[in-house]
Amino acid sequence: MKTIEHFYSADLDWVQNLADQFGGEVKESFIVIPEDIQTGTRYFLKCDEGIIAYYIDVEYKKELHLIQRNSNPNFVGYYYNLTEGNATVSGPDFMYNVTKWQYNLSVIDGALSSDYHVTRGSKTFALCIFIRKDIIESFAIKNNIFLPDIDKIINPKLNTIVRFDRMSDDSLHILDDLRKVKVGGPIFDLYLTGSVHMLIANYLKKIATKRIIIQTVNQQDLATIISIQMYLTAHLEDHFPSIKQLANKANMSESKFKSLFTKITGNTPNVYFVENKLLLAKELLEAKELSISQIADKLHFTNNSYFASKFKEYFGLSPKAFVKEL
Amino acid sequence: MKKISHYYSLTPEWMPQLAKQSGGKMIGDKIITFPKKIGNGHCYFSEVTPNISVVFMDVFLNNPLKIHRQKSDHELYIFHFDLSEHINLIKINNHDYEIGSYDKLDLAIIDNQIESSYKPALKERTFALRILVDKKMLADFISKYPEIEYKGSLNDRVGKEMFYHYGNIDSNSILLLQSLKTKSIHDLSFESFLKGITLKLLGNFFSKFYDIDKKKNNLTQAESDAINKTKKYMLSNLYSPFPSVIFLASMAGMSESKYKMAFKENTDTTPNNFFIQEKMNLAKELLKSGEYHSLTEVMYELSYSKLSYFSSKYFELFKHKPMDDFIKKSILKNQH
Repeated sequence: MKTIEHFYSADLDWVQNLADQFGGEVKESFIVIPEDIQTGTRYFLKCDEGIIAYYIDVEYKKELHLIQRNSNPNFVGYYYNLTEGNATVSGPDFMYNVTKWQYNLSVIDGALSSDYHVTRGSKTFALCIFIRKDIIESFAIKNNIFLPDIDKIINPKLNTIVRFDRMSDDSLHILDDLRKVKVGGPIFDLYLTGSVHMLIANYLKKIATKRIIIQTVNQQDLATIISIQMYLTAHLEDHFPSIKQLANKANMSESKFKSLFTKITGNTPNVYFVENKLLLAKELLEAKELSISQIADKLHFTNNSYFASKFKEYFGLSPKAFVKEL
Repeated sequence: MKKISHYYSLTPEWMPQLAKQSGGKMIGDKIITFPKKIGNGHCYFSEVTPNISVVFMDVFLNNPLKIHRQKSDHELYIFHFDLSEHINLIKINNHDYEIGSYDKLDLAIIDNQIESSYKPALKERTFALRILVDKKMLADFISKYPEIEYKGSLNDRVGKEMFYHYGNIDSNSILLLQSLKTKSIHDLSFESFLKGITLKLLGNFFSKFYDIDKKKNNLTQAESDAINKTKKYMLSNLYSPFPSVIFLASMAGMSESKYKMAFKENTDTTPNNFFIQEKMNLAKELLKSGEYHSLTEVMYELSYSKLSYFSSKYFELFKHKPMDDFIKKSILKNQH
């Protein structure tokens, strides 16, 4: 196991230190790390004054323990973590699994020291955003928000912001889209900055609508609902399984299942399923391997016109029009 | 018709003039709400980065309106994306261009040094996004890729410094713009969302026009494979006559018309012309091989029956006669 102590900040002064700790180097906007520790890409970008994006798409070859001790705690870190494998974040009085299917969005105050453990063989795709506190505060004051919520997101013992949550489906798709773009260069920088803004927008929307904080949901219930989400995502090509069937799988009554699912994901099971199905259809269209009718068949839409109308309803243009200007 | 004029800058300094001329109300330095007399709607401005700003317009006109944009000293390009479901008029250099609705052209790029006017349609929801980009920033892209080739049908360059372009928005950008339609500008998250959309739109634009690797091919993988299969068949049967489109289409598992269309998409020519071209390439090889006694012999080898036809096709492709390439089989060689 390799142990590294490092810091982040809402500036780029952490980059060189992190590279040194890994025994790697900084090349342009990439952090290059020896291949016996991990393979893949680490890329950093200053998006705006006081907003830093750190893009990670790597596979770990060694077990890693990263200790984050920030010398300048004047920022909040938003960690969008889509790790496949095992990764945990722990602090003085908490420990959470932060992989794709668990708490994949953590918001942690820079004032707090935390430990990040990731196992060998884990594949991480993550986007970390570091925002200076005065920017968050001035924004909050200007828009008259955050304040009613602030008691919920502040850990009373430490008086710092710590929040473990699941990102919205929208945010997940923003990250999926970003991952398709080749890393590096001015075009990627546009996409990366754009994605950061859209993630912030989603986060603000979530705060404004006061959706529940997942951290407060019973662990067992959360794990069950997520397992159903995983099941649905793995079976997007099939028909929607009935609510009855899903509730059975979850070992809950239908009404409890429906309300809990909606509470946690923000959508009803059916809407969640159909939206992801349509997004899959869009990906398939983009891949240009199958025709529109083949895709409609593959995804078990009753017929082409039903597929086209659903697609148009969701995306605002028909599959044919979409393919035309790809 | 009411006429209002304004100019653009990367900062909100241009907004009071538009607000005053339209009789609208300015909220902060972001929003101008138009008065009822003009229509229901607003204009939203945001500075995205020091080099990029965005103007978002969403309005339902009650009375005819012409928005005239004066040129200004700011070194800018204006990207106009129109997602109205009808046609608006944009006048650049005294040419009227129709813009809006998906089937028509919906993207215009205008140099800030050229004046233009925008006439949104009456009693319709006009929905447009304008991205203002500092020329210095674009210069970075242009210096990397000096040969700018635009796909748009009407494209013109005025001098070296000023140009405008008129074309289509790509599908992924349409999706982004569509998602903006359902948002309210009064939402807390709107500004961040708009900024994100703006940057992604520019990203899409640049990757569309500068990504040379991208194939501009509208066929699915299966279709391309089928076409390639028939091409391979033709290439291995160059000594025979043309196998007929009916035969090739059935080989590809397509109707004749679909096959012809897909072939053209894949190869940029018809199956028959493709076959003739390849045949002629082979003919050239045979002529130069020194293995034949006469042109007629080569012609028969390739299943042609009229020398004049063969020669004319050969000339069409290589711009010289078959005789010029012909090396006669020498008797001396035989004796060796």
